[in-house]
Parts: sequence; C-alpha cells; structure tokens
Amino acid sequence: MKKIFENTPMKPVNTLVFRLACMVLPLTALMTSCDEKELLNPVPNIALQDAYIFDTPARVLGQVNGLYGAMKNGSLYGGRYLMLADIRGEEFINRTQNVFTGYDAWSHTVTSGSNDASSAWGTSYTAINSANLLIDGLPLHPDVVDAATATQYIAEAKFVRAFCYFGLITRYAQPYAKDKGASPGIPLRLKGESTPANNDLARSTVAEVYAQILKDLDEAEAGLPVNYSTALLNTTRAHKNTAIALKTRVYLTMGDYAKTVTEAKKIVSDAAPFVAPSGVKHQLQSNITTVFFTDYTTTESIFSMPMTALNLVSGQNSLAYEYNLNLEYNLNPTGILGDPSWPATDVRKTAFTRVAGGLTYLKKYNQTNPTIDYVPLLRYSEVLLNYAEALAKTGDLTKSVELLKAVRMRSDAAYAFPAADVATADALVKTIWLERRIEFLGEGLRSNDLLRNLLPIPAKGSGGLSAPSISPSQPEYIFPIPNAELSTNKLI
Amino acid sequence: MKNCTRSLLSIHKWTRLTTFFLLFVLLVTLPSLGAGVDARQSLQEVTIDLTLHDRSLKEAFNLIKKKTGFKFVYNEELVAPYRVNIAVSRKPVDEVLDELLGPTRLDYREQRGTVVIVEKETKTTGQIQKTEILLASLVRPADREISGVVTDNDNGEALPGVAVLVKGTSTGTITDMNGKYIIKVSDSGAPVLVFSYVGYVAQEVAVGGQSAISIKLASSTKQLNELMVVGYGTQSKEEFTGSAARVSGDKLKDMPVQSFDQGLAGRATGVSIGQPNGVLNNPPVIRIRGINSISLSSFPLIVVDGIPINTGDVSANSTVANNPLGDINPADIESIDVLKDAASTSIYGSRAAAGVLLITTKSGKTGKAKVTYEGWTGMTKATRLPTMLNAQQFMDIKNEGVMNAKILGGNANNDAVASALFFPIIQEDGSIVNTNWYDKVYQTGVSQNHSISVSGGSESTKYYFSTNYSNQKGILKTNQFTRKAARFNIDHKLNSWLSFSGNINYNTSLNASPNTGSLSGNAFGLVGSARLAWLSAPNVYAVNPDGSYNLSASNTLGMGNNKVASNFYNPVPLLDLNKYTSENDRIIANFGTTVKIFKGLQYKMSYAMDRLKVENVSFNSPVHGPGNSSNGSATNSSRLISNWNWTNTLNYQTTIATNHNISLLAGYDVQKFGTSSWGATRTQLSDPFFDEFQGSYGQISPAANVLTESALVSVFSRFTYDFSKKYFFTLNYRRDGNSALGSGKKYGNFGGVSAGWSISEEEFYKHSKLADIMNSVKLRASWGRVGNSGVSAYGSLALYESNLYAAVPTWNFSQGGNPDLGWETSNQTNVGADVSFLNDRITLEATYYANSVNGLILNVPQSPSKGIPGDAIFMNIGAMYNHGIELGVNANIIRKGKLSWNASLNFTHNKNKVTELYGQGTELVGTTSTAAEATNITRVGYSVGSLYGAKTDGVNPENGQRVFINKAGERVQYSHVVPAGGSRWTYLDGSPAPAIAVDDYYLLGNALPTYYGGFINNVKYGQWDLGVNFTYSGGNLVMNGTKGTWRDQRFWNNTTEVLDRWTTPGQVTNIPRVVYGDLLSNGSSWPISENAEKGDFLRLQSVSLGYRVPGPVLSRLGLSSVRLYAQVFNAFILTKYTGTDPEISVNGNSNTTPGVEKNSIPQGRTFTFGLNLGF
Repeated sequence: MKKIFENTPMKPVNTLVFRLACMVLPLTALMTSCDEKELLNPVPNIALQDAYIFDTPARVLGQVNGLYGAMKNGSLYGGRYLMLADIRGEEFINRTQNVFTGYDAWSHTVTSGSNDASSAWGTSYTAINSANLLIDGLPLHPDVVDAATATQYIAEAKFVRAFCYFGLITRYAQPYAKDKGASPGIPLRLKGESTPANNDLARSTVAEVYAQILKDLDEAEAGLPVNYSTALLNTTRAHKNTAIALKTRVYLTMGDYAKTVTEAKKIVSDAAPFVAPSGVKHQLQSNITTVFFTDYTTTESIFSMPMTALNLVSGQNSLAYEYNLNLEYNLNPTGILGDPSWPATDVRKTAFTRVAGGLTYLKKYNQTNPTIDYVPLLRYSEVLLNYAEALAKTGDLTKSVELLKAVRMRSDAAYAFPAADVATADALVKTIWLERRIEFLGEGLRSNDLLRNLLPIPAKGSGGLSAPSISPSQPEYIFPIPNAELSTNKLI
Repeated sequence: MKNCTRSLLSIHKWTRLTTFFLLFVLLVTLPSLGAGVDARQSLQEVTIDLTLHDRSLKEAFNLIKKKTGFKFVYNEELVAPYRVNIAVSRKPVDEVLDELLGPTRLDYREQRGTVVIVEKETKTTGQIQKTEILLASLVRPADREISGVVTDNDNGEALPGVAVLVKGTSTGTITDMNGKYIIKVSDSGAPVLVFSYVGYVAQEVAVGGQSAISIKLASSTKQLNELMVVGYGTQSKEEFTGSAARVSGDKLKDMPVQSFDQGLAGRATGVSIGQPNGVLNNPPVIRIRGINSISLSSFPLIVVDGIPINTGDVSANSTVANNPLGDINPADIESIDVLKDAASTSIYGSRAAAGVLLITTKSGKTGKAKVTYEGWTGMTKATRLPTMLNAQQFMDIKNEGVMNAKILGGNANNDAVASALFFPIIQEDGSIVNTNWYDKVYQTGVSQNHSISVSGGSESTKYYFSTNYSNQKGILKTNQFTRKAARFNIDHKLNSWLSFSGNINYNTSLNASPNTGSLSGNAFGLVGSARLAWLSAPNVYAVNPDGSYNLSASNTLGMGNNKVASNFYNPVPLLDLNKYTSENDRIIANFGTTVKIFKGLQYKMSYAMDRLKVENVSFNSPVHGPGNSSNGSATNSSRLISNWNWTNTLNYQTTIATNHNISLLAGYDVQKFGTSSWGATRTQLSDPFFDEFQGSYGQISPAANVLTESALVSVFSRFTYDFSKKYFFTLNYRRDGNSALGSGKKYGNFGGVSAGWSISEEEFYKHSKLADIMNSVKLRASWGRVGNSGVSAYGSLALYESNLYAAVPTWNFSQGGNPDLGWETSNQTNVGADVSFLNDRITLEATYYANSVNGLILNVPQSPSKGIPGDAIFMNIGAMYNHGIELGVNANIIRKGKLSWNASLNFTHNKNKVTELYGQGTELVGTTSTAAEATNITRVGYSVGSLYGAKTDGVNPENGQRVFINKAGERVQYSHVVPAGGSRWTYLDGSPAPAIAVDDYYLLGNALPTYYGGFINNVKYGQWDLGVNFTYSGGNLVMNGTKGTWRDQRFWNNTTEVLDRWTTPGQVTNIPRVVYGDLLSNGSSWPISENAEKGDFLRLQSVSLGYRVPGPVLSRLGLSSVRLYAQVFNAFILTKYTGTDPEISVNGNSNTTPGVEKNSIPQGRTFTFGLNLGF
C-alpha cells in the first residue's frame, strides 16, 4: 500500500485501480471465509435431529424414560386424568366454578370443544406415538442395545401403550359392559407417526381396542424384567407384575371375572398376608399413610408417577393444588364422606381428610409446596380388591371377604363388616365397591367404577352449584371426542 | 476444510449474477464516459475542461451549463461587471467555480443540479449596509429593488437558500442565512417573483408597486420531487413506479407513544395500525394491505438505516409487553417510507410479503450546529370503562340468581337449598362495604419525554447527536415504560471519491407491567388485572380495616359474608407485591463506506448490527397470588437477540444521449440471527424480606432456555430506466437462501417489474385543455413476487428434545419436520395513478392492488391421535388473496393570508379471501388463550380468521332463557339449572335437545376491517397551528368476549346492563334470566354471536393546538424557534361497538385469531403539553 503512495505523483490514491481495490477487498474477504454452507445449515444445539436418536444406548434408554415422562404429563397421569375421573363422580363438590380446574367435568358440561375433552386425548396419543416410534425404530437399529435389553424396552413401550389406550377407551367410549365392546371405540394407532401422512383413521370398536390392550399387556408381561435394581425403578418403570396388575384392572373392567382371577393369582398369594409370590414382592404396608406420606416406593406402590423438585406437576394440574392447597373441591358430605360404613376411626379418614371452615377436604396429597407427592397409578390394594370383586362375582365369597378385610382392617383394625354386607355375592360386591370409594378416594378410579358397572353418575351439589345425575343412556355419560380430532381426522 | 471448496463453489454460483451485472455495468459505462451529467450528481463529482480568455462571467456560466447540464440562476446585475480568464482540464466543477468566483464578490450555492450565484456573505451589519449601497449604485434607473424575508409557513423559521427568480428571466438570487433576499426587478412588463425551495410549494408573487415582499412558504404537499428511500438506495418520487407512502418523522415526534409505529395510525394509505389495548409498549397490529400469511407473520419487515431489525414482542416475560421498536426514539426519525407493492419490496425478496417499513434516522446538515429540544409531559386515563354494579345491586342480582336456581332446580320449598348466598359487610358507621375496584387497579398515568439533539457539519463532515429520556406511566398501576437513549450519526467525506458513514444507537428501555390479562395467551389468567377489576365482588374489602389484605385461606380474594368461594386473587396485593419487568440493552450500529470508482459507479459496503439483550425479571410474592403455592418464586432470564448484516452494493448511474437515464444496482447481502436465552426459577423463599431473584431461596430449576441461529444469504439487483422523465421502468431481482428451510429448498427467487408514464410530460397533453385542470398525471403499474421467511429457525427438521423423568434423562419427539418445506410466495399486481389538480393544490393518488399468496406455509393441523408434537406440521399448501384499492387525496383547502388549511384523506378498501387450504373441506380453528375458546375459523371462501361461535337468537320472552341455533338450524334454549332428570338444553317446546357444542358453531362474520384510513387536517393562523387527525375503520365484526365476563352469572360482578335482565313472562330483553352459576348464556365460557358486534368506528386520534413564539421575541431570547402545544391523544371515538374499544385485540398480531376481545384493559386517553425549542 505504501508503495502506491510513494510512486504515484500528485493525487496518489485517486486512481481507478485503487478504488476498485477498495471495493474488491471486502468481497475477497468473504470469498475466503467459506462459511456460506455453514450459515445456511445451522445445527440445533439443544435439540437432536431424529436421525441421531438411536445412535447410543443412552439415547435409547432416554426414549424409554421419555415414554413414562409422556405419561407423566400434567394433563394425563401427572394429575388431571385422575382428577377428572374422580370429580365426575359424587365424592367432590366444586367450589370455584372454574372450567380450568374441572368445573365442566364436574358438572357434566364437557363438549367436544372443552379443554377437558382434549387434555387426556392429545397427551395419551403423544405417549402412544412415542411408544410406537420406539417399537418401530428399535428393530431398525439392532446393534445399539443387546437383544435382551431391546426386548425389555419394547415390552415397556407396549405396557405404556396399553396403559394409555385403557385410559382412553374408558373415557371416550361406551363401557365394554354395555354391549361387549360392540360400540365404536377410538382410533387404534400402532405405527409411529412423524410425517403429514395418515391423518385419517377410523375408530376401532371398543372390543378391538381391549383386544389390543390385552395383547400388548401379555407381550409386555413376557418381555418385562422380573424386577429392577432399586425400589424407585420398581415403582416408576414397568416390570412383569406391573403388567399383570394392570391386567386385573382391564379384565375387571371388561367384566371378565375369571381372567381377573387368573391374573390376580399370579401376584397374590393364596393366604394372608397377601403378597406377590414372584417378581417384586408386592404387599400392603401396615399403615396406608406410609404409602402417601413417608415412602412412595414401597412394595404396595406397583406403579406411580415420580416427582422431584426439578420435575414435578404443579398448578391447576396438580392433585395437591386442587384438593389440598387451592381447595377447588371439598368432599361431598353426602358422598362417601357421609357414608356410615366409613367410621371416623378409619385411618383413611383421620389421615387423609381435614376440615376447614366447616368443609372437609382431601389431604391424601399432602406435599403442597412443592407438589412432589408421587401420583399412584396402580396400588396393591387395588389388585386385592379387583381380585375380591372377581371372586365375589365368581362365587368364592370367603376368599373375597378375606381380601376385602385385608384392605379395610389395615386402616381400621376394629372394623367389623355387618354380616348382611358380605353375606351374598351382590351385597359383597356392593361392599367392595364402597371399600374402593374409601380406599381410592382421589386416585382416579371412581368414574370407571361407575361406568364399568353401568351405574348412573349421581347428582351432587345444590342450587346454582349443582351437577345433575347422568344416566348411562345420556351422551354426557362419556367424554366426547375432542373437536381437534373431529376436524382433522375425516374417518373418525 | 473440505467444505471450503464446496462453499467457494456455491459462492461462485451466488456471485455469478453479481459478476454479470458488473460486466454489464462496465460495458454500458465505457462508451458513455464523459457523456452528459446526471442531474443527481454534485458539482464535485463532475469534471470539465474549460479554457476562457477575457470572457464575461455570464459566458463562462453558459459554457459550463452546456458542458455539464448544471443550470445557473443569477442576478444579471451582479454578474455583469466581471470578466474572467481560466484554463483547466478535468477539474471538478466546484473547483472551477471557486477559481472563477474567487476574485469576485460572488459566491455560489448548489441546489439539486442548479447553481445559484449569490453575493458573498459579509460578517457585520455594517458591511451588509455597505454592500447594499454598492449594489444600489449598480442599479439602472428603471430597476428597483425588492427585499424581504422568506420563512417557513409551518414554524415561522427563516428559510435560507430559497431561490428567488424573476419569472421569465434568468435573474435571481437566493436567500441568506436569515432568509433575507434582495433582488432587482425591471418595471418593464409586470414582474413576478417566483420563490422556490425543495420540499416547499413554489409561490409566485406579482411585484406590483411593492418594494418589500416577505412570504411564507408552505411545505410541499405534492411530493413528486421528493426523494423516496427505497431498498438499498433512493429514488425521486417522480421516477418511482411502485407503491409506497412516506410519513415524515415530524408527525411522530410529539405523539405520546412508546414506539413510532403506534403513531402511524391513519397516516399512510394502505397501512392499518391497531393498538391492541392500553398496555404500554404493546406492539401494535400492523397490516399493510391486509393479512398476507396464515401461519407466518404478517408484520412488515422493519429496516432502520439499512438494517432489518428485530421486531415482534421480545419479552420472555409473559405478563410484560416489550416492543423492540420502542428502543428507537421517535424524535430521531427523519422519515418512514412504507413500501407496499412487490415492485418496491421485492428487493427485500423473501421477507417482503407483508410490506417493508424503511426508517431513516436524522443526520446532520451543513451549517452551524443546530440544537433542538423536544419535550412533553402528559396524563393518561382509561377510557370507556363500563359501569359495574355497586355492592347493593351486586347482592340483589346474585341473590336473585341464587333464588332462580333454587326454583328452577325444583327446590322452591326445600329449606336445605339456600335462597341467598350474598350478604353485606356492615361497617362501624352502618354503611355497607362498597369497593370500587377500578380505583384499586387503574390510575392516572403521568408521563414525560425529553429529547435533545445537536446537528450540524461542514462540507466534509456532518453529524447528528441526540439523547432521549422518556418515562411513561400507564393507565394501570405499576405499568411503566422508561427509555434512555443516545444516538450518534456521522457522515464524513474523506475526499472526492471516498466517504464513510456511521451511526450508533444505544438505549436501555425498561418495561414494567403487572399481569394485565391483555397480552396474547393471558385472557383467562387468574391474575389479569382487567378481569379482576371487573369481576371482584364489590361488597367485600380490598384491604381490611386493620390494614391486612382481604384474603381467603385458599389464596384467593376473601369473600366476606358471601357464602361462596372465589377462585380469583385479590388484585391489590398482586399489584403491591409482585413485579414483572423486561428490560432492553440494545445497540444498533452500522458502519458504511462509499467508494466512487469512477463517474457514475459507486460501491457501498455496510456492516450493521442489532444486538439486543433482554433481561426478564419476574417475582411472585409468597403472600398472595401465583407465588403462594411455591412460597414465593422468582424467575430471571437473559435473552440475547443478535443480528448482523453485511451488505455490499454496486450502483451505476448514467445518462445516454441526454434522455435515457439508467441506473443499475447489484448487491450481496448476508444476515445472521441468533437467539440465546437462559434463566432459572427460584422458589421457596427463605424470608419474606427477599423480593429479588438474587435473594435466598430453597429451590432452583432451569427456565427459558433457548438457543437458535439462522441466516439469510442473498444476491440482488435493480435496474431502473427512464426516458426523458416521461417513461419509467424498474426491474428488481433477489435470490435468498434461508437456513430454516428444507435442505433442497433453501433458495428462492423473487423479483418485480414496474413501469410508469408521466402523461403530463407529453407535448400532446401539455397542449390539451385537461392540462389546465390536471397539471400532472402519472400512471404506474407493477407486478412482482415476494416471499415470507418467518419459519422458525429449525422449521424443516424433525427433532427430539431431552427432559427429565423424575431424576433420569429422557428423549422425546418434539417437532415433526418437513424436509420439503419451501418458500411461501405472493404474487402482487399493482396499478395506479398520481394526479395533481389546480397547479398541485389538490393531489390524488389511486391504486388498485391484487396480492395472491401461493404455497402458503401452513402449520397444517394433524389429527391429535397421531401424537405429533403440537399436532401440526409446517407444509407448503394453501392459497389466499388480498384485493383492494387505495385512495389518497391531499388538498390545500385554504391558503389566504395568515390562514391556511391543509387536509388529506386516505382510504383503503381491502378484501381478503382464502382460496385453498390443505384439502377439501379443511379448515383451521383459531383459539383464544385456551383450546376451549374456539373464536375464529379460517375456511376456504372466507377471510382469514373469521369469527366463529355459537349462534344465538335473543332471549325467549316466555322463560328468559337464551335461545341458540344448532347446526340443523333448530332453535334450542338453555337453562343452567333444571330439576332432577331434566335437560338443560331443550327445544322451544320443552323437549330435550342435544347440547350445543363446537360442531354447532357458525362462521359469524369477517373479522378483518374491509375499509380503513385517516383524515388529517392542519390549520394555521398566524402563529397558531391546529392539527385534527381522525382515523377510521370498519366492515368487520369484533367478538366482544369481555361482555361475556361482564354478564357472567357465577360469583362475578356484572355491568349495570344486567339490571335489564328478564324477570317476567312476556318481557322482551337481550339479557337472559339470571341463574346463579350460569356461565354459558352470556358467552363467558365460549364465543356467542350475541357478543359479535360491528367494529366500525371514527376516532379523533389526536388534536393539537400549537403556538409559535414570533421572531422578534425569539431573537431577544437568543432562540431560533419556540413552539408550545397542547395535545389530546385518542380524544374520542364514535362507534356502536359496546366494548371498551373496537380496535382492541387480545391476540395481538396473530393472523388466525383477529378481532377478538377478551378481558383486556381498555385504551387510554392522553393529554399532553409540549415544548419544541430550536437554538
């Protein structure tokens, strides 16, 4: 540069060449930077492109954990699914008339456009699709994990898929008992979806969906491990007994009592104290409060959604927030709370309810701040009562009563069932149903217990804050398929 | 480095076009070197050879004129005495003139290709007098001298440099620094003086017997001579053949707004600006010629001094609005050019579909430093708040509802069912508690704004410096906007061929706001201040007599003696204890250099950056509200939005054979965007003492983590041609590569072509009778293709994201990708005419446009049962159009002595229609804040985001029940409470009917205004000025969802309209029988047609009255100008809309959910008093 100045007389820089050079220099700088391809193909740093998701064993395990993570969504088994299932029934009174905390479900005004029609639908299918993507993808990447591990992962995926389909079929379709599953069910998606294709899929019948659930659970039972290395894993991931426990629920819901008994027998010993003879040694804890207040991973908790301070469900989807902190619902004095068969001596009443301002509230979910109570999805007491009900229906009243007592006496040792309540199969079944209302209050089983037995949903409340009774023939008896599905899936 | 070769290859491909243009430029240039001068070139850019021996100065001027085309204006008397000698070769004209005039008493001024010869300025008054005496002696007896002062009609300031010419001669002068002129005229004939100045209307004054003629020039309404800022350059208005509108910065600087875009309402044809609500610095809804996309943004591209900057809402704090355009001090803006058609926008290619706003900031002007101060202070109050029930009315209505529910439930005689649930709190003095929640939530916001600028410069260096402080308080308590900004612009001419320019803008803007419930997604929050002020029970305390907040045990408003619970918070502690802010630290800077390679060819490089750091702070107190359940929570996040832009252009201009004007532009442009955000939420406050993130907490979890980058790499070019300023032609081309698109679909080609014809320049026209009426007529037409690149950074990729399942890591499918995702393009056609009447007294602009958007990037809904994340995938599918006409009329209605009245009216009619979606019978449902609130529908054959909802048919006079119309067209009625076994939904005969659900919804009507515009008046009388500006809009429906809130029959308070509820059989009313708990009948929990109202309005947007202190007073004060004014902003609105404001929108800039109002705070009305000082 200096040379130009020296050699050029008069106006040294005022030359065409120099001016052109001034222009070309920056362009040259660009030419050599060779970053254009890089500029136009940025790689995301905090999300992974799908092509790399099966690259390492850890990523595959991450996807398996992701299945449970998807189930744990606040709209699903992290809280809201259970809450809506409970408040539809007769045990709770809505206090705030807030549609964001279930008022529509409580008062049976859920329409296809309601949030609560879509909350469980979309999140269930998201979990199902995650399972399908894993089931489809793992065989295409055979060398990432060993065959045994792959089998286990696929079994876990099938368990998750079955659990979610069961949640959907019992909410959005007519009960199996109505017509042996002949009613229209829901779309049965068994292939992973990641593209715009396959938007339209017709509904399978209720029976078809149940058949798939059972097929998945049988295959899961075969492929799942007997147990895991820690109590935490035994509670938060599926093992053989988890699949079996769920089957007792599914068969009972279908009214297939013999099969319920068959499955229950696999995980309930012949004589008290009842305990699972194989796999994880499931059994009732001596004090039910242990399960809710002290240790979320005892052998009673077969399957639960775990919470940590860094990964929890909070706000209006959280059970503790709804029932115990924001007091959106109080216990209906004319529901099970006021039933004479639930005496004040019962630990489940003394420990799990509290009175404030003249109203009684549920405090089964006691960790309000932060809301880190695990959400129970399958407890051993349910297996025992499923078993008991199936036995009562199939004639083994003695064993049935024994199981019923195991559940009741654990919380109210002095309680004696009136003879009439356990004398006949019919009376015993009704007594078991009452026991379920007490034992599983706030655990999301009430709605299905009414529907599987084709019982009307009782009225509750009074005046402007009331919900009418809903008979099985009314459309409100089940949830409508959400509008988002109706408007996009033309075969629905 | 193996990518390097490929990269070079791709660059080679990219730059092939540029190279081609360069070659073309050279080919065209070489033969034409030395041809006639381009009128736009300055004296120093043109060189000449000149040899003269003892010739008159006049002859010298004539020769230079012949050689260069520069015109000369001079007073023959002044020039006559001089004889000149000169011999120069290839010397710039300015130097030639210096040499010629050096020994004389004359000097020159250059003014757009015209050289005005004046007397040299003399320093002292004495000298001036001497000069005048000298001059007088030169005057021929028949001539006489006319003198006077030329001032600006708008502000009374002296205008230096105004050309004063004796009509029909080349005798003339220009005004001096004080606007004074002296000219000699011959009395032969009837001399007429012509005063002309760029940007002002030329005036002719017959001299008659006067010897002193002082005039005021009005700023030009005819803008044909004005320079337009177009992409990567400027064009004169007469050459411009596209469609654009220009708004001068002066119109915006005194507006009590946070960002300049809020002040544009009604100012520019085709541009619709809607303020969503009264939340400070909430980005307005800007639509240029309608909605131009469905799933991508319809917000225009904003380019400030050449760099496309960040727009939208950059707050990561969902309760706080943060419009990054608020970072620019409106007083720094010189002009805003709105490019509307593809011919003018296509130079921005893929980002131009929604129009382009080019902002030019002020720069220095040659001359001594000029200092200005602009300041105002103001007060803002909420407007059009409805009257709510007082405590007694509230209890009466609610208890009536409770009783009705009891009766309807068949419990009239059941003592177990309550007959009343609402009871007063009796105070010590016997009165009942009657809380006016408006007083607790709203305030009179006091604001102030101060700007100081210093600008000036020499011939080689020009500078502009400004600083601004703005502190504005909103109508809602704790809503505040503070901006501290400084800007420095500099231009330096190093020598005749190299110049530099640079500017830097630094600011810090603090947005503070409570949760207003008024921003997108917030309509149904428990915390929204607007809703809380409306629904909170008036018969309870806000603050108990003991000074504590009135709270229930379950973290809600205490309901006093009422026997019901509320699920809402008490707004008073929310406003007192919680805080939410979003604060910007931003540098927008650019550096540019211009190299004049040879005559006509210019290279420009500019590097610009927009680096915006946003700190979002949110604190929720443990005492009450959303922080209660986590014992207090604080979330801080820091977000860096960086954006750099490197542009290289080559520009060549030439004139061939005197009439063919050609200009060529070729350029290369790279722009890179990056967003990096990180933060954390801390909960479990250790001690209530802490109210900052940095305090002590028990828990912490990550929040707001975002990391994306994207880039655009482009080449572009423009070719303009005109023949004799009669025929004009422009061609634009741009090729963009966008990193967000699918791997094989990254590049897109865009461009436009436009042509114009100035009929009035044709000889046949000039001689026609029409020319007397319409003195100027220009026709223009354009066609072009532009794109929309607003796809999210990794929009084409299928992605998995990692999270936690309790304590173990997970991977989940998080985005359904589409590798075929390509460009969304619009084809835009534009035909228009510019006509001036009565010697430019009235100008008219009329344009017809047709924009059709093809291959829409649609976020196509996927069946939720597929489990695709977000239930949608971006695809190129669908089409729609916007057709419309724009009319703009500007008229100098009165111009008589001291009085003048200028009015301009603009009108736009726009029709939007979706012509194709993603398949037969498909539609897109738009929801407001929650999936349950399906308020809009985008359906083929209708406009985007039409209103959607349950159709109603009044109230059944027999029983007071709301009547709905189901999908079969049958009338059904709703009773919220029915006896056991009864049906809430019945046909009018009482038989049970299915419930009305979304599938019964109707498309209720168009939500987009079909016409809009402004009517702007400026009246001046002497020192007084009055501005009266209206905006109007209409042809659309607005869903007044807030009306549902106002009439909700839960425990919520109501407006006094509810007093007209149905009570007796036969009564005809539009308010149903009140039934406690009823949330459906009035549209609280869903949209109903009863609440869809016409949105037509006429708004008096602003009225200002100003007074300019007259000159003599100023000179005593040592000031050059002082204007005092008072202004009312949003003065009043004429509308039948019954909500707070027909322009209000709770979904902000969303395309698919326009025209919906739900629980937003209203607009404010602002009174300001201001002062403009010039030193």
